[in-house]
Amino acid sequence: MRGLSRSVSERVAGVREALSKFLYGMTGYEFARHALEMRHEMEAVFMVVTMGDLIGVPVLPPVYSLRLLPYLVPEVATWKRNMARRKDFWEKEEYDLHAV
Amino acid sequence: MNTLLAVIIGAVTVYLAYTLYARRIDRHVIQSDPKRATPATLYMDGVDFMPTNRNILFGYHFKSIAAAGPIIGAIVAANLWGWLPAIIWLILGVSFLGWASDYSGIVISVRNEGNSLSAIAHRLVSPRSRSILFVFIFFYLLLVAGAFVGIMATVLESQPKVQLGVIVLTVMGLLLGQMLYRWRTGLVGATLLTVGVTFIAILGGGWTEEIFKSFSAGLNGLTGGAPLVTYFDPTLANFQGADAKIMPNLLFWALAICAFCYAGSVLPIWRMAQPVVYVGFWITAVSMVLGLLGAAAASFMKPEVAQFVIPAFKGFNPHLGPAGIMPLWPMLFVTIACGAISGWHALFGAVGTARQIENEADMLPVGGGSMFAEFLLGLLALLAVSVGAKGAPVGAFATGLGGFISVWGIPIQYATSLAFAAFIVIVLVVTQLLFRVQRVTLSEWLGDVFPPVRNQHLSSLICVALAILLMMTGTWIYLWQLFGGANQLMAALSLLLVTVWLASVGKSWLYAGLPAIFMYITTLASLLVTAYNIYSNVYQTNLTAGRVIPVIGSGLMVLVALLLVAAAIVIGIDGWRAFRRYRRQPAAARRPAAARA
Repeated sequence: MRGLSRSVSERVAGVREALSKFLYGMTGYEFARHALEMRHEMEAVFMVVTMGDLIGVPVLPPVYSLRLLPYLVPEVATWKRNMARRKDFWEKEEYDLHAV
Repeated sequence: MNTLLAVIIGAVTVYLAYTLYARRIDRHVIQSDPKRATPATLYMDGVDFMPTNRNILFGYHFKSIAAAGPIIGAIVAANLWGWLPAIIWLILGVSFLGWASDYSGIVISVRNEGNSLSAIAHRLVSPRSRSILFVFIFFYLLLVAGAFVGIMATVLESQPKVQLGVIVLTVMGLLLGQMLYRWRTGLVGATLLTVGVTFIAILGGGWTEEIFKSFSAGLNGLTGGAPLVTYFDPTLANFQGADAKIMPNLLFWALAICAFCYAGSVLPIWRMAQPVVYVGFWITAVSMVLGLLGAAAASFMKPEVAQFVIPAFKGFNPHLGPAGIMPLWPMLFVTIACGAISGWHALFGAVGTARQIENEADMLPVGGGSMFAEFLLGLLALLAVSVGAKGAPVGAFATGLGGFISVWGIPIQYATSLAFAAFIVIVLVVTQLLFRVQRVTLSEWLGDVFPPVRNQHLSSLICVALAILLMMTGTWIYLWQLFGGANQLMAALSLLLVTVWLASVGKSWLYAGLPAIFMYITTLASLLVTAYNIYSNVYQTNLTAGRVIPVIGSGLMVLVALLLVAAAIVIGIDGWRAFRRYRRQPAAARRPAAARA
């Protein structure tokens, strides 16, 4: 009996969690995504400023680039993919228009 | 027939179609594998490609696809052919076509590295198919924008009670954006304030009714009560046709809507479009949830609002006077679009959602599940208009939905105001996004040939001007059917693409191929019928009367219809060739090229 009531309460908790996530998906998730996108845009600019030589834009003396390198290495792959998707360097991707 | 029975039929449809058909296709044809890596996990960048919980994604996808489509389509179709054909098409459409289109849009993208439909078409079908898809998207957005601006201007002109709510919604949307992104206010507090004030303004629309009435009278007095434009609209007077007049007041509201949409198109997304959509979402969601529950409970609690009052069936080709031929096939299948099947869903799912799928087992609940939820929204709209009073379609819908909401003890006049506002809000927030997408599509399509359209202000102004021109024809029902034809054709083309892809990987293609063939033929036929109706009933009539603006607008509509037909034929031929090529030798069976030394 205790096992049954526990399984019922677990199911109720599961449904509640699913509903709250569904509601979040319909409401706050878009704001969270947009905040991430804004941050991503700023990081892209930062990467150009610091690692510009990788794509032929020597904006920062190499000595400073090298000092920052260990902190930026994890981001390089993502940044390269993002740059490769752009049709031109200055294109600002409109994330809200993914479908187009 | 009463509303409870219809709700039960809807729930049973969802259950049976999902468990007996959709799940089988997912398991045995697509063979979704939870262990296979998805683009979200392979290319995770924390922004565009991001593994997301299935319940969050379900909410996100549903909100993104649920708009005015299922509501307006059901309203128009019930008035044209009766509620029975409309409900049958909703049930059959979602069960055999709709979920398949939405789900497959996600599947094809997930299995093709998160690429968009146009990119996959470029690779699998032909390079020119990508450009043709852009033409498609631009024109069908133009059609729906023209239809929506016309509908909203008409409702706002005739319903002074709603005007305060719309103005306050705009102000609250701007305030919400400022609070969230600049002042860093918490979401819950900001929501309570902005949504609460908007609700008060909607319910209290009667306070400013007299002010707006005298404002309208003042505007109309500018021309001494004479109309700016007179045109013949064959869909007026219960489809008997009548002369319609564009008064200064109507033009003012149309221009105000366009100014709102222009701002939504050119301002940063966080500044206006996103927060206005968010506030509007709460208004609509509360109305729809109260309405759907009210429709189910009305049989017990308030039976007088639960009985259908419009005829079940008005005939296969009801005599509609000068409104022209309106055969059940193919016109019903494009008039009700989004509640049964929609091309936009597949387009959005292919990139917006597919890049966030964490696990292949989530593709069906998110894609198919959202479409079934959208079907329930379409069903609610159909019920509302079926129990509403006879008369103008939107008015009947608002009366019906208001009746359902009033089941919960809300006075009928407030409930009806809320229903009117919910309708306007959902159309308005969608329209501003339409202009935004249309502006980007235009610059993608013509930017290389004519660089000035890359300027967001110029491209937005072009879109707004074209929409106003279409609105001036006044026949928003034809515009809606033209949009439905383009939208359903998009669905057919996305299913065609899925069919080609299934053939290319050696899988059974029937579940996508048969709906693709049906929708392709149906939508081409509907576009031709609508073009004929517009030409014979709007263009020629207004030409004879020497009315310039409606002639230009209706001529443009006919041209757009023919252009869409031509584009669809080209892409259909390319798709057929690609299909035959892959049927002879699936891409999966081809020997990989030898590695170079």
